[in-house]
Amino acid sequence: MTAQRTFLYDDHIKLGARMVEFAGWELPVMYTSIIDEHMAVRQSAGIFDVSHMGEIVVKGRGAKAALQRLIPTDMGRLEKGKSMYTCFLNEQGGIIDDLFIFMLSDNEYYLVVNAGTTEKDVEWLTLNCKTNVAIQDVSEVTSKIDIQGPQSYNILKKIIKDDRLEGLQRFYFFTGTYKGEPVLVSQTGYTGEFGYELFCINNIISRLWNDILDAGKEYGLKPAGLGARDTLRLESCYSLYGHELSETISPIEGGIGFVVNATSDYIAKDIIEDQKKNGAPREILCLEMMDKAIPRSDYPVVYNKQDIGAITSGGFSPLLKKGIAMALVKRGLVTIHDEVSVGIRGKQSPAKVVARPFYKYNGKRL
Amino acid sequence: MSNIPENLKYTKTHEWIDVQDTYAGVCGITDHAQEMLTDIVFVELPEVGIEVKAGEQVAVVESVKAVSDVYAPVSGRITEVNKLLEDKPELLNSDPYGEGWIYKIDIKDKYELDELMDAAAYAEHVAQGE
Repeated sequence: MTAQRTFLYDDHIKLGARMVEFAGWELPVMYTSIIDEHMAVRQSAGIFDVSHMGEIVVKGRGAKAALQRLIPTDMGRLEKGKSMYTCFLNEQGGIIDDLFIFMLSDNEYYLVVNAGTTEKDVEWLTLNCKTNVAIQDVSEVTSKIDIQGPQSYNILKKIIKDDRLEGLQRFYFFTGTYKGEPVLVSQTGYTGEFGYELFCINNIISRLWNDILDAGKEYGLKPAGLGARDTLRLESCYSLYGHELSETISPIEGGIGFVVNATSDYIAKDIIEDQKKNGAPREILCLEMMDKAIPRSDYPVVYNKQDIGAITSGGFSPLLKKGIAMALVKRGLVTIHDEVSVGIRGKQSPAKVVARPFYKYNGKRL
Repeated sequence: MSNIPENLKYTKTHEWIDVQDTYAGVCGITDHAQEMLTDIVFVELPEVGIEVKAGEQVAVVESVKAVSDVYAPVSGRITEVNKLLEDKPELLNSDPYGEGWIYKIDIKDKYELDELMDAAAYAEHVAQGE
């Protein structure tokens, strides 16, 4: 199967991007340097093509109730124009996918899901939403770009001329227009910085991308690839599906226990509530390497000569300038300040258990 | 187009060796290799004194994104390593044929050098996208 291309493929090539395959899509991993792109987002702004992500509209009189049964998060926390992060659970309390739900109206919700799991999510929704609910996968007609970093507002206000932009709070969105077409503008992101996620139809995305790039020149905006997206979210300890989250990892284990707050019934509620109260079998640790060494996914984590788990995401932190990682380990064996070791190419490399996250949500808007 | 000095010998796996006399060489990774890796943040150096065979893994270079093995172009004994790289791995990006050298080797069998590519052959190899 050949990889799908986003509607920005030609723009990426023109910018000299190095393309890689990710979740069946051909996407830029970097343009010039992951470190430079990472620091641009932390200090000024970066723009990402994330059109591979899936978008699913769930609507109808039964939509809210049907969604509530699938997630451990209280749907009552939503209001029109607000979004929230949550996950779909299977019967064992494992995660089918993590997602954002945007409330368009009382009876209409816009779901943003992972690219590699979109099909599975649609099947799960179809199976579980039977009465008065319509499900529409709009991924194919939707493009998405994220603009992230403290200068995001100054850049975007030149392109999306809308009074609602200035006062837009975190996790809120509105539907503005660009070239006469609707653009969903959301104050959310996956980098630990202030910024926006923009959703629109495919045929205006290239103009929007290039307009933003031009508008951002004076602010040091850089196009950023999946490489920087990964190091940014790792510093912020945002869990990634397929790494910290999977069908055999619960939200409590996977570091997203904060999504568990629904009082009404939902799939696997008993298991999740029990884990919340009594602890889950495993937990995510944050590790900082003490030597010059870089922890990578699947490297074993050892404590007292005992294998306690493995790295789920790891790499070099451009901000801290050292190796950092999240690891899924047996719960309760180690705590902050303890020393563990990571097996790297057959050698044990010392690492300190540190507080989560490595980088707190900044939220600074210049 | 990446820089490929005339006076060096090259491997298919993008290492170079500067043969200083028949029995000693300085080794590193090519400009093309560092371009492909970008953002080199860690180098695992070999131990001085170990014997390696041609084609054997001798060092590890890590970029932000990936781990890459570095292979020995020829058989021999490691006589010196570039300790500077422990604190400044980025020298591999900025000066891959100079300050970014990785190790020195006493060449065991000089005829192995004949198996390596000259600059023209390596340029062709890179152009073919390998």
